[in-house]
Amino acid sequence: MEEIVMESDSADVSAAAPQLGVGAAWDTVTTALMSPGCSVPEQSLSDSLVLLCGRGLGRLLGGWLLETLQMRLSSSVVPEFWSGLKQPENELEERGRAWVLLTAFRTLLSRLEPFLGGLETLGTWQQEGRSSLCGPGPRGLQELAFTIIRALLLFSPAPVLQERVLEFYSRTFSVYMNQQGEAEDGAEAPDGPEGGACRGCGVPTQQCWCQEALEQLQELSRILSKLQLLEWVSSEAVTSILHRLIEQRMEQHCRGEYERSFLLEFQEWLELVLGWLSKVFASEADGESPVPAPSAPSTPGVPSTPGVPSMQGNQPASSVLKQWRCHMHQFFCRIYVNMRIEELFSIIRDFPESKAAIEDLKFCLERTNQRQQLLTSLKSAFESRLLHPGVHTSDILTVYISAIKALRELDPSMVILQVACQPIRKYLRTREDTVRQIVAGLTGDAEGCTDLASELSRGDPVTLEMQDSDEEGNDPEDWTPDPTDAVPDKMGSKRRSSDIISLLVSIYGSKDIFIDEYRAVLADRLLHQLNYNTAREIRNVELLKLRFGESHMHYCEVMLKDMADSRRINSNIREEESRLSEEEQPPLSLSSIILSSEFWPPLKEEKLELPPLVCQAMEAYTHRYEKLKAMRTLSWKPHLGSVTLDVELEDRTLSNLTVSPIHAAIILHFQEKSSWTLEELSVKLGAPKELVHRKLALWQQHGVLREEAGGRYYVVETGSSKEKLERGVMLIDSDEERDSNTTTQSEQREEKLQLFWAYIQAMLTNLDSMALDRIHSMLRMFVATGPVVTEMDVNELEAFLQRKVREHQLTVSAGVYRLPKSN
Amino acid sequence: MASQNLDPAAAAASSTAALKGSESGGSAARGSVSKRLQQELMTLMMSGDKGISAFPESDNLFKWIGTIDGAQGTVYDGLRYRLSLEFPAGYPYQAPHVKFVTPCFHPNVDEQGFICLDILKDKWSALYDVRSILLSIQSLLGEPNNESPLNTAAAKLWDDQEGEKLLMPSRTSPLHVYVQDQLVFFIF
Repeated sequence: MEEIVMESDSADVSAAAPQLGVGAAWDTVTTALMSPGCSVPEQSLSDSLVLLCGRGLGRLLGGWLLETLQMRLSSSVVPEFWSGLKQPENELEERGRAWVLLTAFRTLLSRLEPFLGGLETLGTWQQEGRSSLCGPGPRGLQELAFTIIRALLLFSPAPVLQERVLEFYSRTFSVYMNQQGEAEDGAEAPDGPEGGACRGCGVPTQQCWCQEALEQLQELSRILSKLQLLEWVSSEAVTSILHRLIEQRMEQHCRGEYERSFLLEFQEWLELVLGWLSKVFASEADGESPVPAPSAPSTPGVPSTPGVPSMQGNQPASSVLKQWRCHMHQFFCRIYVNMRIEELFSIIRDFPESKAAIEDLKFCLERTNQRQQLLTSLKSAFESRLLHPGVHTSDILTVYISAIKALRELDPSMVILQVACQPIRKYLRTREDTVRQIVAGLTGDAEGCTDLASELSRGDPVTLEMQDSDEEGNDPEDWTPDPTDAVPDKMGSKRRSSDIISLLVSIYGSKDIFIDEYRAVLADRLLHQLNYNTAREIRNVELLKLRFGESHMHYCEVMLKDMADSRRINSNIREEESRLSEEEQPPLSLSSIILSSEFWPPLKEEKLELPPLVCQAMEAYTHRYEKLKAMRTLSWKPHLGSVTLDVELEDRTLSNLTVSPIHAAIILHFQEKSSWTLEELSVKLGAPKELVHRKLALWQQHGVLREEAGGRYYVVETGSSKEKLERGVMLIDSDEERDSNTTTQSEQREEKLQLFWAYIQAMLTNLDSMALDRIHSMLRMFVATGPVVTEMDVNELEAFLQRKVREHQLTVSAGVYRLPKSN
Repeated sequence: MASQNLDPAAAAASSTAALKGSESGGSAARGSVSKRLQQELMTLMMSGDKGISAFPESDNLFKWIGTIDGAQGTVYDGLRYRLSLEFPAGYPYQAPHVKFVTPCFHPNVDEQGFICLDILKDKWSALYDVRSILLSIQSLLGEPNNESPLNTAAAKLWDDQEGEKLLMPSRTSPLHVYVQDQLVFFIF
């Protein structure tokens, strides 16, 4: 304002005479600028311009125009726009609302167009240097104008605009997608439940306004781009629409569907969406760029020179679209990763089938920064869905194996695998049957998981040598740093193994424990089948040898050799027997399995005295063996083995019964005497009464024996079939005969605890009293037997000691343990 | 000296450094000695013998404390004795140093607790271990060797004891026994 006054003052001073002429000239020029419609004669216009410029007033034209624009905007245009938008609140349906929106913008444009036109003309004059006018040119002027418009119009935008725009764009989007033949996709009908509705605009077909909507879209885009409001008005709406649509589509198509890759499909779909976007941001693309701007000729298809700063706002459509394409991909990746992270547990569970999903996820995860989210979510999924007492160990193992397979696809650096599976490994350590399950899996005994067996027999196995091999010939060029979320540990990335078997075995940090367990399993199998057939076991042992190394499997080899030797010795002895004369033939044929006691796991000890008949046969067998192998003898395990026998009763014969030695011994005793009391039998057999009682059940079940009052058992010589049937029905606890011959893991553990107890007792005997920590460290120091010590942590030890305190075998006061005074 | 008492490592060493003996076997040998001692500890723990026990005193595997209960039917029945066992670096080719920590009134044990037992002296063999030492000492308590007494008073008393069981410590009341100027309390 002040400037103008100053300018007029100076004009007064320089030339007072043509005062009137200046006023008229100003009017002429401003009229020409503001209303391009009315015809101001070219001649008078130029004259007026010359006059104004001569007075130095030409510079004021731009300022005056902008000032007027600003006043007009704040006084009438903006209020009119907002009230126009709000006015028919709630009364109209969608179509009407779209119309209102468009009208509001139309009015806005028509109000502002004169100013824009004037500015343009002025700019052009300035450009041309007409009458020595100078200024920022059309671009600069318009830029100023647009800034003013934006500032005043959107200073306090009402939510209604955003709502309307969003609604309108959503509608046009669905119309567009519908027209693009998206409709053939059956699932894509989110808003078309009403019958006979147009799939695009969601109203009955006869009222379809699809075409209209598209035209409106085009017009709105044109207006907005003309006012350079496009980015400000539309971006937010478009972003949220895209977000929602991608999410919606993903929910419909991808959720729970892991067997197909969706990347390509979505790529195509996104291209379609891009078509709609190109309509939204159509702006200059179809609009003749109304500004003949030589600085940046924005002709459609030709990208603007990179030098033009983007704040200019009216970038060519193609580069805007390029930006949007990037955005969309980012949206897509993020939404996809979010969804898959949520589902990762199920994906892992179905792994070999869900490979496609894993690959998609890998692709997207590389583009978003969500590894941490993935880890956290997966960990908690494991914890809530897998690691609780209701899940069978073999199922946990199966999932763990799948996780190994899936995650090593997802992240070749194995960091995710290592971090996410830490809870599983920790949990498995607390399960007692883990080792047994893994070993069963390895030997192919487990029902559920055959993966391990096939993994074992896979080619080029990784040896489980824990020693590191620094120069393993890896190309140093191939080295890549660990991802930042790697757990810093001493192992380093190199040792982060992806081999399933080594990972499983390393749960306990020691392979000895597995080899021991395998030995027990092997012993069990060999001793149960009793047929010297070891082909399958030999194969397993050989495979395990490749993994664990020869030396560790030595015991197992000896066990297998024992079987082979037994067979040979047995056939030798048989042959010898067959050469004997008729009366010297042994009364029963006996075969044996000869075990080298040092190499077999501890066998269950049970006392059993066999009937003399069997003992004689055994002795004879031993003699023959001693002849065969000088300096060696046999010590029999009478309770292990199996007996095949026929039971002949008065009216029936049970033939080919295969029972355990104690069963056979019992029934053999009934041969001498047809009734026994439990006590008598127990004495005869040298076995505890409870055991004998349990074993008698089998014969009762077969209907051979029956129990009568006073605990006497009788032979049922003539059993009516009816009674037998009854017997069959009332199953007297059929005692499970498949129990293991070798000591079980928990028994072994008990033994180990017993060993600890011996140490602790000795400690306290000699050193009087000790605190928990001291006991623990002493044990660590002096109990040097395999993995046992490392397994016993302080808490466990404390629990053990507490137990001993409860059993009055220890006393504790002030955290110091001592042995009770022995009286 | 029994041939098994020759430490092969020490023997080799001593051929060069004559007087130093097994000490020169040094730290290399120490590892194997530790192993042996650990093994012996294990054997002792597993054996489950009643009345004898021993355990390393601290983290030093070469110093143990032993406990012996007097055998039943002897005058030492019901008494418990502490011993200290120190293993030389040349163990098991050299005998460990064993002495009573609890004062022990016995013909073959002197006032400082030193024990006169042939297997701890000239009859030592590398085949012995902690367990056999403790068992020997336990049986020594019941059957002293009065031919070479360290404590003559005790030896004398022992010979009398055969006749009069009176000196057997009674289980019911404390018994004071004056022997020369040495006062021994038996307290139960």
